[in-house]
Amino acid sequence: MKYKIILLLMVGFSFQTCTDLKEELREDLTKDQASELVKVDALLQAAYDGLKLPYQDQSRFWAAQEHTTDAAMGPTRGPDWDDNGIWRSLHAHTWTADHSFLTSTFSELLQVVYSTTNLLQFDPTPQQAAEARYLRAYVMLSVLDGWGQVPFREAGSSLLEDAQVLGPQEVVDFVVSEMDAIINDLPTAPANRANKDAARVLKMKALLNKGAFLNRETPTFAAADMNAVTTIADQIIGSGKYQLADNYFDNFAPNNDVVGKENIWTAENVGGVSSGNVRSRWFCTLHYNQNPSGWNGFTTLGDLYASFEDSDIRKKSSYTGMTDVSGINAGFLFGQQFNEKGEALKDRKGNPLSFTKEVAIKESGDNLEITGIRVIKYPIDYKSGDNCDNDYVYYRYADVLLMKAEAMLRTGNAAGALDIVNQIRTKRGASPLAALTTDNLLAERGRELYWEGHRRTDLIRFGKYLAAWEEKSASGKERLLFPIPTQSLASNPNLQQNPGY
Amino acid sequence: MKRTLTQLMFLLVFVLGASSTYAQRTVSGKVTDDKTGDPLIGANILVKGTSNGTITDLDGMYSLSVAEGSTLVFSYTGYANQEVVVGTSGNIDISLAEGSVLDEVVIVGYGSQKKRDVTGSVASLKEKDFNQGIVTSADQLLQNRVAGVNIINNSGQPGGQATVKIRGNNSIRAGANPLYVIDGVPLDGRTAKAGLLATDIGAIASSNPLNFLNPSDIANIDVLKDASSAAIYGSRASNGVILITTKKAKAGTPKVDFGVSLGTSSVLKKYDVLTADEYRGALTKYGLTSGDGKGNVDAFDQITRSGITQNYNVSIGGGSETATYRFSGGYQDIEGIIKDSGLKRYTASFNSNFKMLDGKIGIDALLIASQTIEDIAPISTNAGFTGNLIAQALQWNPTVPLTTATGEFTTAKNNSLVGETTINPLNLLDGQYELAKTTTTLANISPYWNITDNLIYRYRLGINYGVGNTRGNISGNVNVQGITDLGWAGFANNELLSTIHSHTLTYNKPISEDLAFDFVGGYEYQKFDFSGYALAGRGFAVPDNDNTNAIQNASNANKRFISYADPISELQSYFGRATFGYKGKYNLTATLRADGSSKFGENNKYGIFPSIGASWNIKSEDFLADNDNISDMKLRLGWGKTGNQEFPAGSAQERYTLTENGGSILENVANPDLKWESSTTLNFGLDFGILNNRVTGSIDYYNRVTNDLLLDPSVSEPGPAVRAWKNINGEVANTGVEIGLNAQIINKENLVWTLGGNISFLNNEFRNYTGPPILTGDLFGQGSSGAYVQEMKNGYPLNTFFVREYLGLDETGNSEYTDGGDTFVAGGDPNANVIVGISTGLDLGKLSFNMNWNGAYGHQLFNNTAMSVLPIGNLGSRNIDASLLEGDIKESIANPITSSSRYIEDGDFIKLANATLSYNLGKVSKLSNVRLSLTGQNLLIITDYSGFDPEVNTVNLRNGVPSSGIEYIPYPSAKSFIFGLNVSF
Repeated sequence: MKYKIILLLMVGFSFQTCTDLKEELREDLTKDQASELVKVDALLQAAYDGLKLPYQDQSRFWAAQEHTTDAAMGPTRGPDWDDNGIWRSLHAHTWTADHSFLTSTFSELLQVVYSTTNLLQFDPTPQQAAEARYLRAYVMLSVLDGWGQVPFREAGSSLLEDAQVLGPQEVVDFVVSEMDAIINDLPTAPANRANKDAARVLKMKALLNKGAFLNRETPTFAAADMNAVTTIADQIIGSGKYQLADNYFDNFAPNNDVVGKENIWTAENVGGVSSGNVRSRWFCTLHYNQNPSGWNGFTTLGDLYASFEDSDIRKKSSYTGMTDVSGINAGFLFGQQFNEKGEALKDRKGNPLSFTKEVAIKESGDNLEITGIRVIKYPIDYKSGDNCDNDYVYYRYADVLLMKAEAMLRTGNAAGALDIVNQIRTKRGASPLAALTTDNLLAERGRELYWEGHRRTDLIRFGKYLAAWEEKSASGKERLLFPIPTQSLASNPNLQQNPGY
Repeated sequence: MKRTLTQLMFLLVFVLGASSTYAQRTVSGKVTDDKTGDPLIGANILVKGTSNGTITDLDGMYSLSVAEGSTLVFSYTGYANQEVVVGTSGNIDISLAEGSVLDEVVIVGYGSQKKRDVTGSVASLKEKDFNQGIVTSADQLLQNRVAGVNIINNSGQPGGQATVKIRGNNSIRAGANPLYVIDGVPLDGRTAKAGLLATDIGAIASSNPLNFLNPSDIANIDVLKDASSAAIYGSRASNGVILITTKKAKAGTPKVDFGVSLGTSSVLKKYDVLTADEYRGALTKYGLTSGDGKGNVDAFDQITRSGITQNYNVSIGGGSETATYRFSGGYQDIEGIIKDSGLKRYTASFNSNFKMLDGKIGIDALLIASQTIEDIAPISTNAGFTGNLIAQALQWNPTVPLTTATGEFTTAKNNSLVGETTINPLNLLDGQYELAKTTTTLANISPYWNITDNLIYRYRLGINYGVGNTRGNISGNVNVQGITDLGWAGFANNELLSTIHSHTLTYNKPISEDLAFDFVGGYEYQKFDFSGYALAGRGFAVPDNDNTNAIQNASNANKRFISYADPISELQSYFGRATFGYKGKYNLTATLRADGSSKFGENNKYGIFPSIGASWNIKSEDFLADNDNISDMKLRLGWGKTGNQEFPAGSAQERYTLTENGGSILENVANPDLKWESSTTLNFGLDFGILNNRVTGSIDYYNRVTNDLLLDPSVSEPGPAVRAWKNINGEVANTGVEIGLNAQIINKENLVWTLGGNISFLNNEFRNYTGPPILTGDLFGQGSSGAYVQEMKNGYPLNTFFVREYLGLDETGNSEYTDGGDTFVAGGDPNANVIVGISTGLDLGKLSFNMNWNGAYGHQLFNNTAMSVLPIGNLGSRNIDASLLEGDIKESIANPITSSSRYIEDGDFIKLANATLSYNLGKVSKLSNVRLSLTGQNLLIITDYSGFDPEVNTVNLRNGVPSSGIEYIPYPSAKSFIFGLNVSF
């Protein structure tokens, strides 16, 4: 009897320790808590910050746009920069659907599509909504540019549902209609926020490239689209807000938010505080024995370098705050390199640090440390540590002028187009061109916009992307699109692999 | 608090409620071998029909409080059981005759069983079987000693974690280590050791969560290998269960055991790099004019040393028939073979048993307090191209002195042969430290009540609390990117608390004369609580100081602080086990456990884990009873389901985190269906003894299939940067055969020679999987960013290497690959197919000699050290792998570093892991026993593997998926000699 009582007590006691197994969060918030806390400002800032990695890192969209072209290459240097061939496969057009940089780029760009769409649920002000929609459209156009299709979910859809997939026409239409819808709600400045002129340039990009997006093998350009591009360009030019900079490299300087007269749409980097990876632009290219000690990687190719006249300030200029600190000039680093005292530098083996025009995608030989011409587009910020101050430039005025010239050229106004191009060349210290063709316009775009993340789009639009160039043979037409990453393809049955992969 | 109060009240009720009386007495005596008269150490004495029992000490002495008239069962491995009814005498000396191995008692979940009655696959190791030498954690005691248990040290750093796999690898992502249970208290499995915030010198290998337990306090270890034995631990049992039983108090006059050991350790196997003269020769061969610093140094020798190990243990045990106690204290000081690294440990334990109300009620208590202080070398697992300390020493140009004539460290600043990014290893050793203090307590208080002769109620309160406190500093004079001229200092603190309340009822009464019946059932509640914080600062006015003492002085932009707390996770379980035995011939065991976990999704709150096992004692059948050749034979068959719930708390819930600007972002996507990984195991075994048990052994076949695999892939685009935990399709199958054999080749009075061995064959396959390949095996170092070499693909073993196929060097000295390197092929896998352990012992009266060998075959390793740290391209600036000069073709100095099958090597090896020579002086004047021993560890290794040690696993995670079988500049393994003295009085 007594033992029954004890048993009962025990059972009772067991119930006392019983738990409903409800898991309480501690460092994190529940959905309810989070919804109350939502600050659209913060979501919007997070969306802006979400662009930093995929656009500013050396191994993301920038690499997809530049390494796959005649403007940049990441050569393997003996023991360095082999990275399982990941850089070589970009330049040689041999990437696969498992290419980890392309996989990450696809995913990170689409994260911005998610975060901007998500924000729209939380009752933003008209301007906040317009900014978010701008960022979304900007990123969607990049994804279209790279992969030819864009997975998309409406605001409030479940993440467990398969996203619908938009094709080229749908995305171009979407971008154009979005820009028209939001332009009145966007601010006019500053450049490092989504603004009216940024929306105008994005619409120009969508229309100018529409023919290539719809038919990459043989692009055709509708006169209506070209005229629209010209009209929008005139609006921007007519505002008088922008002018070609006296010092080309001011547009990329640590204080380019102040001195960069051409910048229309940039990413804000705050020196010493928060920044994207703009510093990789100089770290990836500088030699170990330069200041700062670089990673001795990327180069440009000899043909691009050779296409500049010596007087062209885009080719080589000293830049105050950089050249006087380290001896490094802005533009291309070719031949013997010096420190700030004018002393000749040596490589790690004690040979002269003298960069050569000749460079192979797989470097061998005793001089592999010094092959290839290096590129300093962004003047080095020596003050801010890892978080450099240089705002990252997405769109600038010279590109608007060149796009206008292209639209005019494609609609038969070669003379007007030539004037615009020569206006730029003169400002840059180069002699005027005698005539304008699509070939020398493409070359001028190459000289003006080198390493700014536009080259692949330009080469495709001008029908030159599959051609052979230095350290690359002619490639198959499947290379006009990147493959949908294996991981993404497996997670969404609505995505179809691009032909040829 | 409410819960604690309730428990106190219950204890009170429970104490008042018990009033029956029994005549209790203390029985003591000595257990000896009936032939030699030698004391039997660790023999089991159990009061029949209860869980009350003890084991004999080093002199074969025991003491036990029992009720008059009860029956004592004496058992010892390899000896026949004896039963004695307790009469009036307080002294019962027993001499056991060699008999059946099946009479031994083994610890199983929530109780113990006679080996004869065990239906599952359980390996049991007693103190005398443990590995000797430098042992820092319990897992090292059984390393290589149990068939199917494979333990590989992830790092040679004293106190570093090991990868423990019982019967292969089940999981892609979720924790793959077994569940550890100390005296009935299941551990969390994590350590409270705090990790510093990341710096450019990289992440350090984890510490062993068992470091807090002094190995000399352990009496025996039982390994539950199959599901029919482990399923009683339910959702945490898939990777097997290791039950650790501590040494218990014994009644009698106080007895003191004192042990001291002193030893020295050195590098087991060095990496073959060029000497200064060879280096100069290589420079000439390659026509390099620069690179000769005219000196002659061996940088690796400069960072290594002969480490001195000291270990002191003392214990006092004794007590009366109603109260026994055992105190122990230990101090261990291991100097690592890398300078300025090591482990110090202080341990204290108290173990006691109190009996009240004539033995009707008792309390078992165990308290352990310990502190480990790890002095951690800057040897990260994921160092970039500037390498870690080992890399910096291996690749240091052997012709360049490490210090200048004026005593400064040689760097790029004072020597043009040193690269701008090169870190002088002595400079790093001098300018960096990381001290991790981990303080752990384990309290295990367990009152019990013998309600009737056959029914025992037991309550257990277990509290395991650990706090880790780590501080580290890197001086600004070390050339580490982002730290040079700035200085870096960091602090980190973690707390880990796990609590368990369990209630069990044990019933033991034959149903009839022929049908034995045992039952244990219970309820268990466990709670796990993990939290911590970390601070770091960079940029100090005096960068060369130890700035951990004033981190606030860091420059404002470079201060970091974080804190974190996992959701408290709760586990609530109901379990039972019933055992039937018919005529001692047929046994049937069935277990069932229901585990509810707060971590599981709402739709899967409880998992049910059943098992069933049967055994047939063939020797008891008439047809074998008279067979003199076969002394034992038993068949076992078991089936069961177990789980693995080692995914982070909070994984099933939608969670948001605050952002710096006051907003919130999605952190985790809800999965209301999230549940445990589920393993189904079939085990078939045969235990046998022949020639009067001169030869004993067992053979097991198992087949374990794990499905509902846990993985956290990214959400599909467009989505946030979060991963979502799910149970994916596909399954992991592990199939294997294990054979254990022990033979007494010679058995004479003054000469006993035993030879034992175990061999496991195992096969691992990932199958029925339709998703994208799951990637891991990230490589690090020069020219390898973003590179990985392992993929989980359908139809292949887990962690299979997928690499370019290396064809050799072409005539220009550059590597050639199949298809120009664009095609990747399966290049082996790191899962050993055959694992062997061999042990032999020679007893010559007072002198004895034991030796253990172990080996593994049929697996491959990837040598990321050779690939990225010592490539040919280093020549002229840094050192290279000496073997690169040996080939017929001169390798081009510009041959790129490319991951390929070139760096995949067979991991086959055989090792003399442990050899001990001991001399037992026996009684010396007033000392009851004196024993001297000399142990050598890792004395010899036979392998073609070119790295430090083929038992290697530099674990790195790719999206949380661990790599396996990759060597990357690890803390090297040690070879040690240890002298030991044990004294009892």
